[in-house]
Amino acid sequence: MKGLAPLFFGIFGTFAFSWLGLTVIPNWQIGHLNPQSDEEGTDIYPQPQSGMFERGAHVYAANGCIYCHSQQVRADYAAADIERKWGNRRSAPRDYIFERSVFLGKMRMGQDIANIGARAPAEPASPAPAGAAAPQASPSGGTSPAASAAPQGGAPAAFPAAPGGSPAASPSSPTPKAPAPASKAPLSSPSPSAIANASPATSPSPAAGAPWPVQTAGEPPMYSPAWHHVHLYSPRSINVDSNMPSYRFLYEKHRIRDARSADALQLTGSDALPEGWEIVPSFDAKCLVAYLMSLNQSHPLKEVRSVGGAPAAPAPPVGLPPASPAPSK
Amino acid sequence: MKEPAISAVAGDTEQLERAYIDASTRVPVLMFYTSAMAWLILGTLLAGFVSFKLHSPDLLSDVSFLTWGRVRPAHMNVMVYGWASMAGMGTAIWLMARLCRTVLRYPLLLVAGAGFWNLGVLLGVGGILLGDSTGYQWLEFPGYAAIILFVAYTLVASWAVLMFRYRRGEQIYITQWYLLGAFLWFPWLYAAGQLMLFVVPVQGVLQSAVGWWYANNLLFLWFGAIALGTAYYMIPKVIGRPVYSYHLATIGFWSYALFSSWTGMQRLVDGPFPAWMITASIAATILTMIPVATVGLNHHMTMQGYFPLMRYSPTLRFTVFGAMSYTVFSVVGVLISLRSVARYVNFTQASIAYSHLGLYAFFTMVIFGSMYYIVPRLIGREWRYASLIKLHFWASAYGIGLMTLMLLAGGFLQGSSMEDPSLTFSESVETVLPYLRGRSLAGLLLTASHFIFAYHFGLMLLGLGRTSTVPTFLNPVEAEASGGH
Repeated sequence: MKGLAPLFFGIFGTFAFSWLGLTVIPNWQIGHLNPQSDEEGTDIYPQPQSGMFERGAHVYAANGCIYCHSQQVRADYAAADIERKWGNRRSAPRDYIFERSVFLGKMRMGQDIANIGARAPAEPASPAPAGAAAPQASPSGGTSPAASAAPQGGAPAAFPAAPGGSPAASPSSPTPKAPAPASKAPLSSPSPSAIANASPATSPSPAAGAPWPVQTAGEPPMYSPAWHHVHLYSPRSINVDSNMPSYRFLYEKHRIRDARSADALQLTGSDALPEGWEIVPSFDAKCLVAYLMSLNQSHPLKEVRSVGGAPAAPAPPVGLPPASPAPSK
Repeated sequence: MKEPAISAVAGDTEQLERAYIDASTRVPVLMFYTSAMAWLILGTLLAGFVSFKLHSPDLLSDVSFLTWGRVRPAHMNVMVYGWASMAGMGTAIWLMARLCRTVLRYPLLLVAGAGFWNLGVLLGVGGILLGDSTGYQWLEFPGYAAIILFVAYTLVASWAVLMFRYRRGEQIYITQWYLLGAFLWFPWLYAAGQLMLFVVPVQGVLQSAVGWWYANNLLFLWFGAIALGTAYYMIPKVIGRPVYSYHLATIGFWSYALFSSWTGMQRLVDGPFPAWMITASIAATILTMIPVATVGLNHHMTMQGYFPLMRYSPTLRFTVFGAMSYTVFSVVGVLISLRSVARYVNFTQASIAYSHLGLYAFFTMVIFGSMYYIVPRLIGREWRYASLIKLHFWASAYGIGLMTLMLLAGGFLQGSSMEDPSLTFSESVETVLPYLRGRSLAGLLLTASHFIFAYHFGLMLLGLGRTSTVPTFLNPVEAEASGGH
C-alpha cells in the first residue's frame, strides 16, 4: 500500500462506521426513553431509586456479583428463562432507564436476579417461621413487615433498620432516621396500581416445581431481606449445593449489649454464635440488600407481552407449613 | 521483506543497519517486556486462585479483597492491561522501528509511557481489590486509573505517529497497516468507552451495549490487530520468503477492520435491545470469516513447503500456533453467536472459552513467538535452553487446548441443563463443576509454562544467555534444513 492518506482515512472510516452504528444510532433510538404511565399520568413505571439503591449497586459492582448473576430475562420463545420463573415477561430497555450502572450480566453460575425483589414475600410475615431462632427479634416480628409495604423496592431498604431496632454498628441512626432513605423514594407510597400489582399473594402458588429453593425450616421467609442477609453471610446454610462465596466481610460480629439488635442475623446450625454474640449487617450489606429488593421487573410494559398476566411469582406464602428441607435450589 | 537477491555487501550493510536499529529499541522494549512478564506472573497467580475458588467457594472468603468477585476482575485486568497490552506494545514498538527503517527516536516518550502505564494498572488493580470496580467487563478500572492509562497511552501513540514521519522507503508493509490501525483505534475506543459509560453516561441498557462493543473491539482491533501484524512479519521473516499475496493481505486487512469492529452485540443475544443491533453483530461475526479465510490462506501459502521449519524455530512454532488459533477463535465465535446455539451457551462458561481463545491461544502465543525472536536481538545473547522453550510451548499449547475444550464442553452442557426447566437450577451448576476442575488442571499447566518462560526471560535479562552467532533452535538443525531463527 502506498501513501498514508488512504490508510489513515480507511482506519478512521471503518471505526467511525462501527462507532456510529453500534453506539450513536442506538443512543438516538433508545437512549432517551421515558417511564410509561397510564392515561391519568399515574402508575408510573419505572421510577427513580433511592440513594441506598445506588450505594447498593456500587457494592454489587465492587464485589463482582455481575460475574455470576445476570439481570435480564429472555423472551419465552428464545429461552427457558420465563419457564424458570425468573420473570413473567422479557426484559426491555425501558426497565433499566433509571439504573446508573446496568448489570445485565453475561454469566449464570448463579440465578438470574432481574426479579429477585418481586419474589420477596408480599404478605406481612407471620412472626418468623416456626422454629426460627429469633426469640429476641424486634417487636415488629423480626421478619419482613417493610417488604410488604413496597413491592417495587425502595421501602425494604429501610427494613434492616426496622423501627425499634438500634443497630449498634450501623452508621444509620436509630428509629427516627432509619426509614429516611426509603421515604425519599417515591415508591414508598404505593400507587393504586402498585397495590394491585402487589397481589402476588392471590396469584396461583408457584410452589409446585418452583426452581428456586423451597422454604427451609428455621430460616427467614425466602427472599425477604432477612433471608438475603443470611444467604449472603452463609450461602450453604440455606442451600448446601450453592457455590456462592460467602460475604462475611460485609457483616460485623459483636457482643450483645442490652438486647439483641433488631437486624441481627438468624443463624442456625454450624453458623450459630455463642451466647451473647450476634452478627449484624454493615451499612454496605444493608444497601446491597436494598438494591436486591428493588430489582423488580414485574410491572407490565406496553411494549412486551407478559406471561399469564400475573406478576413474577412470589415465594410461597410464609404461613404455609415449611416444606421439608430443600434438597437443592 | 525482500530477503533474496541482495548482494553480500548490501546484505552486510542491511544487517548492520538492523543491528543498529535493534540496539536503539533496547531500553524501551525491554522495559515493556519486563513489566509485562511481571504482570503475567501476577495474573497467572490470580487466575489460579479464581479457578480454584469457583469450585471451592469457601477458600479465604472472609477477606474482602480476596473475594472471588474482586479477584476475578483483578485477574482479567492484569492480563488485559498488564500483560497483553504491555507485551503487545513492546512488540509493536520494535516492529515499528524496524519497519520504518530508522533508529528509535524519542525513547523518553516510551519510557515515560511504560512507567505511567504500570502505575495505571497498579492503581487500577489495587482499586478493584479494594472495592472500586465499575462492574463493566474490561473497564473495571476506576476513573483515577483509567486517566493515567490514557495519558500513558497518549505518550506511546504520539511516539508511533512521530516515528511514522521519520520512516524511510515508500512501501508501507502489511504489518504497519495493522499496527497503525491498532495505535489509532485504541484511543478512540478507550475514550469512547470511558466517556459513554462514566463521564456522560448513556441511558440504561445502552451502557451494556457500549461495554460489550468496547470489550469486543478491544479484543479485535487492539489485540487482534497487533497479533495479526506480528504474524505477518514473523512468518515470512523466519522462513526467509516474501508474503504469498499482497492483494489477499489488502482484502484481509480492510475486511477485518470493517467487519470485526461491528461485532460485540452478538454476545447479548435476546437481551433487552432492539433486535437489529444484535442481528447486525451476528451478521458481522459471520462476515469475519472473510478476513479469516484470506489471512489464513495467505499465511498457509507463505508457509507452504516450510512447515518442517517449525521443528527448529521457536518463533515460528509459537507464531504459527497463534495464527492457526486465530481461525479456531473466529470459527468458535461464529458458532456461539448463532441464535440457535447462543440460546444454550450465552450465559455459560463457553464465553470464557471464547475470550481465552482470542486473548491466549491467538494473541499471547503470537506475542510469545515474537519475544523469542526479539529479546536476543536486544540483549545480544541467545536463549539459554532449548529444552525450556520446548517445555514452555507444550505446557502452553496443552494448557490452553485443555482449557478451551473443558470450558466449551462444560459450557454447552451447563446451558443445556439451564434450558431444561425440569432440572433445578443448581443442577446446571453441578453439571459444569467437573469441567471447572479440569480447567483448574489446565490452569496449572499454563502456570508452569509461564514460570518457565519467566525464569528463562530472567536469565536473558541477567545476561546469562548463550553467546553465539547461531540462534537457539528447538532441535539440532540438520545441514540442509537451516532457516532463520
